[in-house]
Amino acid sequence: MTARTTHLDAGVRDAMIALGAAAKKGLGDPVLAELVMIRASQINACAFCLDMHVDLAVEKNGESAKRIALLNAWAEAPEQFTERERAALALTEAVTVLTDGFVPDETYEAAAKHFGEDELAHLLGVITVINSWNRLMVSRRIVPGGPQW
Amino acid sequence: MTANQNTTDSTGPATKEYVHEHAPRLAWAKHAPEVYKAMIRLDAEARKGVDPVTLELVKIRASQLNHCAFCLDMHSKDALAAGESVERIIQLGAWEESQHFYTPREIAAIELTEAITVLTDGFVPDETYEKAAKLYDEKELTQLIAAITVINAWNRFGVSTRMVPGHYTAGDFK
Repeated sequence: MTARTTHLDAGVRDAMIALGAAAKKGLGDPVLAELVMIRASQINACAFCLDMHVDLAVEKNGESAKRIALLNAWAEAPEQFTERERAALALTEAVTVLTDGFVPDETYEAAAKHFGEDELAHLLGVITVINSWNRLMVSRRIVPGGPQW
Repeated sequence: MTANQNTTDSTGPATKEYVHEHAPRLAWAKHAPEVYKAMIRLDAEARKGVDPVTLELVKIRASQLNHCAFCLDMHSKDALAAGESVERIIQLGAWEESQHFYTPREIAAIELTEAITVLTDGFVPDETYEKAAKLYDEKELTQLIAAITVINAWNRFGVSTRMVPGHYTAGDFK
């Protein structure tokens, strides 16, 4: 596979990186951030992002192969994920698949039980940032594991 | 007209009452000011080099697909204030059958917007990408992709926090 283009304006790239840093810092939970980013990338079928965030989850957070494999079926594997993680994953799915209709009250409220308002705003930031990277990578067909993105 | 205003029904003098306005779930920009600032910066970077008329069409179409009421309110008002026609805004929802209202470059941009917005239905088709790549050079095309990405990001904040439409005035954020 070759990329359609690897071009991306430097200003856009820097602003994206700053946005991601601000959202992750405010969330203050790097393990959860990687889970969220892997789950959104699965839904959006972003190969580059999956490759990158699985590596980051394993290498930086010591995430287990089992939890990463079960992410695609997290709702059926409650013993592998905390209630807080599951609330965040449900919110990730709802905010990622907006075209199927809104973010249900029960999904939002379940997240609001486990996250304070500041945390929740930043969690929404992390979900939004990975959705943005997914779009920038899938549309340009950036090669997973490749050096140019 | 403001949201929730009683208006005279076209069929008679009786007034009708609209459904009560909902409240936002979360003032996300207040709770994540650094994220909000970064979004503003990203928006400014992504709109550079994108034709402003096309940009509003892209923002409206993505906001329709993502059901972002706040974003639709904002971008339809901004588009109208900039001289866009009501006809072209309304026809966006059926642009395949009203292509003669738009330029080939606008059509390619709208088609690309749909593909990049509805990623979960599977990738961005080669023919959609190539159609756009014929009409936009590499730098223009990647800026257009960035602009599509950014309205998708605003849509996510707008929908998830239930930002309330109806109170925006064109140019408020400019």
